[in-house]
Amino acid sequence: MSSRILVIALLACSFGARADFRVFACEPEWADLVRALVPEANITVATNAWQDPHYIEARPSLIAAMRNSDLAVCTGASLEAGWLPALIQRAANSRIAENREGLFYAASYTHLHQPHDHVDRSMGDVHPEGNPHFHLNPHAVPEVMDGLVKRLPQVAPAEEIKVMRALHLRWKMRWEQSQEHWETLMPDLRGMKVVVQHSSFDYLLRYAGIEAVLDLEPKPGLPPTPSHLNRVLNDPRLADASVIVISPYQDPKPAQWLAERAGLPVLVLPTTLTEEEETDTLPELITYILTSLSNFNPKQNAVSAVNGH
Amino acid sequence: MKTMTMSKQYPGDKNPLIEASHSLSWVVGLMASLLLSSASLHAKELNPDISVVLDGLYVQESMALGHGGPGFVPGHNELSLGAPIDDLFIGRLTTVFDSHDGETELALEEAFLRTTGLGYGLKVKAGRFLSNIGYLNSRHTHDDSFSTRPAVYRALLGSHYYDDGVQLGVTLPTDFYWQVSAEALQGDQVSDTDDGVGLYTLSTKVGGDLSISQSWQAGLSYMKNRSPAVEEEEGEGHDHDHDHDHAGHSHGLNYYGGNMSVFDLVWKWAPRGNNRQQQIELSAEYFYVDDLNEYADDDDFHEGWYASAVWQFAPQWSAGVRYGEVDLRQPHGDHFHSQSLQETDIMVSYSHSHFSTIRLQYTHQSGDGFDDINNGIFVQYVMSLGEHGAHEF
Repeated sequence: MSSRILVIALLACSFGARADFRVFACEPEWADLVRALVPEANITVATNAWQDPHYIEARPSLIAAMRNSDLAVCTGASLEAGWLPALIQRAANSRIAENREGLFYAASYTHLHQPHDHVDRSMGDVHPEGNPHFHLNPHAVPEVMDGLVKRLPQVAPAEEIKVMRALHLRWKMRWEQSQEHWETLMPDLRGMKVVVQHSSFDYLLRYAGIEAVLDLEPKPGLPPTPSHLNRVLNDPRLADASVIVISPYQDPKPAQWLAERAGLPVLVLPTTLTEEEETDTLPELITYILTSLSNFNPKQNAVSAVNGH
Repeated sequence: MKTMTMSKQYPGDKNPLIEASHSLSWVVGLMASLLLSSASLHAKELNPDISVVLDGLYVQESMALGHGGPGFVPGHNELSLGAPIDDLFIGRLTTVFDSHDGETELALEEAFLRTTGLGYGLKVKAGRFLSNIGYLNSRHTHDDSFSTRPAVYRALLGSHYYDDGVQLGVTLPTDFYWQVSAEALQGDQVSDTDDGVGLYTLSTKVGGDLSISQSWQAGLSYMKNRSPAVEEEEGEGHDHDHDHDHAGHSHGLNYYGGNMSVFDLVWKWAPRGNNRQQQIELSAEYFYVDDLNEYADDDDFHEGWYASAVWQFAPQWSAGVRYGEVDLRQPHGDHFHSQSLQETDIMVSYSHSHFSTIRLQYTHQSGDGFDDINNGIFVQYVMSLGEHGAHEF
């Protein structure tokens, strides 16, 4: 009797495992890509828009999720260097380890800006591989998606990815449509100058022809200091900037301090997906960021004022 | 008869201690050749991760169960090398430099290999490593929030207990975090077994999230000393100053017991999980040790606990308070002397970057049976160069 129960239990377990494709996404943007290809996947997202992805603790719930996953999709390029190795080690999941199919680094599939031959810590938190915030690079995301499409058949049960190629085509079409839409926003953005805090939006700003003239961080990854803020305040380039852009996970006080003195608005923009409707997919997030920025372009305001009359 | 000598401050020290001049030149030579090779190869993946931790203290007063002073004291200065060996094994070697009576000593704190991805959530560690007992023990002291380990750790585990042996761990496939590990340890300095293996440990940890902002972990550990090391009488009395010439860092205190049980609990809160900006960390551990020796009756046991609260109120600043007690029974022939210590610590620390910390701590002690019960200030720096360990919970 008891052995029969055991057999049933084992069958149930193995069935459960087979019917369930589990994915560990280090950041919400990669969860979005996986979901587009495998809508039924059971995805754990390790971080949210209110967290600094450089500083995450290898906490118990994440170890458990990593233990039970078939695939981990992460940024790489040392973005998660402070926590992912500990998770992988403590989860002891044979599928997910360095150089195994179950660990997918998006950074391996695209070209990163600003790689460094030489890095030392006096430069701040600089990644030798280059800027790891490439999920906001409209050219890089499709390359990562291609990488995922190649990887998924190696790690996902066949029935989970039957329609993957069709979904990939659909996703690509939508991405191209979005790109066309973003192109229409360009005239409102090109030449705009902004103050940033960290290089989170770098790729998207380049794409849109926006220049980040000043950074509130004294060195990459170090929080703003009063002396550095004073330097920024006295920098002649500040006069050209039309807005200060920060992320929800950053303390708004330094930006507000500067905003009051420089007479600039502060714009808080999510660097990754949220649960909110306007920013819950990657194309929507990029649209949201570009549109929000365009509202602060003095040129664009002048144009709309003219149009309004 | 039963001993459970978590006695030596660094139980593994006796064997690996090498004369300073010799060992230092060896390590410096090794480092130099590693650095040279990394410079010429230009391929980081081929080289071990090298990390150096610089740790120094100013101690205003020497204290009961303390680590030296008064004055400037070298802390836990370590050099660590680690790298994947192949696709199945990872290795790590950690040496600690310490200074006693003007002589620099080198101790081997970790020298282990660990498996990666064995399957079924299993992992095996072999060699010399920090035991998994309790919450703090398996962590490196330079990750601590306070300049000193709690009194109960200093008395019963020599601040951090490491030994030679083998560890088997399994992370279970449950929705919540559940890890179980077992260790067999040599216990050379604490046990007189003929077949060598003197200690066994068994520990388990469970944990999870309560919300997006709150996480927790609870642990239960047990350590068994199979057979006794007969306590030498030289430590007789309450002589626990640092003059006697023990190998390593023994501070002359020996607290034995055949069975040790530890319960630990950790709770952390960060607004929406953003621990970069702000975090509150509450942790507590309780220790119970009995079966002290053949003369011990039911009333003879060691017991201790601590509770700590640390608030990181800005990205670079933390403040914390910790209270702890330990009640000990020191064996004297066929009877025991009671000792007790209560300790309150208050600290504030500044981390300029993730790799540099400066800490100010005030410690207040009270109790019975110790010579140097004191109050005093600690000023400490902990600097980390090179590869940096991950953010463990």
